[in-house]
Amino acid sequence: MSDWSKATRPIPVPNEWTKPFWDAANRGVLELQRCQSCGHFQHPPYATCTQCVATDLKFEAVRGAGTIYAYTIMYHTGDKRFASVVPYASIIVELDAAPGALMAGNLLEAEYTEAKVGRRVEVVFEKLNDNITLPQFRLARTNSTE
Amino acid sequence: MWENRCKVAVSGVGFSKVTRSAEVPLAAHALTAVKEAVADAGLKMSDLDGLATYPELPATGHAEVDGISIVSVNCMMAMLKLPNLSWHIQVGTTNIGGAVQQAVNALLAGVCKYAVVWRAMHNPRGTYQNLPGAYAQGAAQFMAPYGFGGPGQGMAVAYTRWLERHNQNREKMATLAVTQRRHTQHNPHAYFYGTPLTREDYLNSRMVAYPFCLFDCDIPVQGAVAIVLTTADRARDLKPRPAYLAGYGQRLHFEVAGRIGSLADYMEGGRSSAKLTWERSGFSPQDVDVAQIYDGFSASVIYGLESYGFCKEGEALDFIQDGRIELDGELPLNTFGGSLGTGRIHGLWHIIEGALQASDRAGSRQVKGANVSFVGASAPIVTGTTFIFVREPY
Ligand SMILES: [Zn+2]
Repeated sequence: MSDWSKATRPIPVPNEWTKPFWDAANRGVLELQRCQSCGHFQHPPYATCTQCVATDLKFEAVRGAGTIYAYTIMYHTGDKRFASVVPYASIIVELDAAPGALMAGNLLEAEYTEAKVGRRVEVVFEKLNDNITLPQFRLARTNSTE
Repeated sequence: MWENRCKVAVSGVGFSKVTRSAEVPLAAHALTAVKEAVADAGLKMSDLDGLATYPELPATGHAEVDGISIVSVNCMMAMLKLPNLSWHIQVGTTNIGGAVQQAVNALLAGVCKYAVVWRAMHNPRGTYQNLPGAYAQGAAQFMAPYGFGGPGQGMAVAYTRWLERHNQNREKMATLAVTQRRHTQHNPHAYFYGTPLTREDYLNSRMVAYPFCLFDCDIPVQGAVAIVLTTADRARDLKPRPAYLAGYGQRLHFEVAGRIGSLADYMEGGRSSAKLTWERSGFSPQDVDVAQIYDGFSASVIYGLESYGFCKEGEALDFIQDGRIELDGELPLNTFGGSLGTGRIHGLWHIIEGALQASDRAGSRQVKGANVSFVGASAPIVTGTTFIFVREPY
């Protein structure tokens, strides 16, 4: 199992679109951008709703349960900061509460071979520093699919 | 059908030497390719009056230095000092296929007579795809912290979804890698000319980003290719047999920047580009005699074959089996070796091969009776363009 304490991740730099996402993650809450006109959730954040082009968008808390939409197993060691954790699973998650909004993460607390399309995962938070906490995922510990 | 169907043709093609590392400045590669294409067309440099390219260096974390790591239109203008230059452009959204399409449009508009399009690709020292430094800005803030650096990884995640949704097996891709490498042995300009590849080589090769092993990824190289386009009536007066452009298209779909892994985005991009191309040319996938489909990462061929309509979704890895993509097969595919055989030069080489096959100029790899020649010049998702060349302008 990859020991992520040995890796050094590039640190996200929030901008005017993404700051609410990172502020919420810092509080241990997953918030995604939602269109106030049609109710569509989207990620990454954008200037307009990608469904109805409305500009009235707000960040709303969502439950961090979803499924693995896709994944890859990283083997390359070109970036030495990740060299000690290969092979590791980088996954794309579709949350139950936000269909179509695809979030990247790593599959934590599991062997990389556990990554499979359709497998249930839940969000966990990985603190990088005082300002930035990364939403991450682990295999779901409950069987809920709501 | 398109009112400008078969009114523009490819008349000349040119190649520089393709090397693994940068032995001479990239500008010299581009110059060689352009001069060779002009000579192949039987023209003089002073006949050239249009210039177009897409100069981007797809490696991340490396400086773009004109003449060294990219060759812009300005760089080419400065080198050539063309006495009759009347038009030029550099495109952004559609990779090199868009530059070819702009040249077509300029010829149709009558603002130039002989346009050259080149693609020059640099292989920087060190790691090709670097993650950002200590900080990840823009779209990278949602990807780089998790190890997502280059486009190959984005394509790899879509590929696992494709494989598992369709209950498919990545080992079937060995057929594509091995067949294309065999085609490569008919292309002396290709990086892997003279280097065979076996099924065992493919199956035993190291993983890069699962499901991609080493031989699913085109090798970064230094090199350039070029084509000369002109109007059909002028093309008929030139030395080589013209490859007439029956139609083209470009992807009309874009989702949020930074969204990766969506198979649906690949399919929508490819479908939208192909639909325009079938409608404009009057052809359908069943009419195609030979196809070049961009293969910078092998899975692009899957997305291409399915979204362009050559087979149903989930079937591409079965479609390429049983000799179907051999030179004498039902759909000869990437007959010049593809990017997996030539090295990473992007889609202009696919366009060149599509034109060579249509004009019966592909030498020992010529597909017999290749009248309708299809090209998907980029991965369908972000930069996709499609073309059909024909031998007879009927
Ligand atoms: Zn909306």
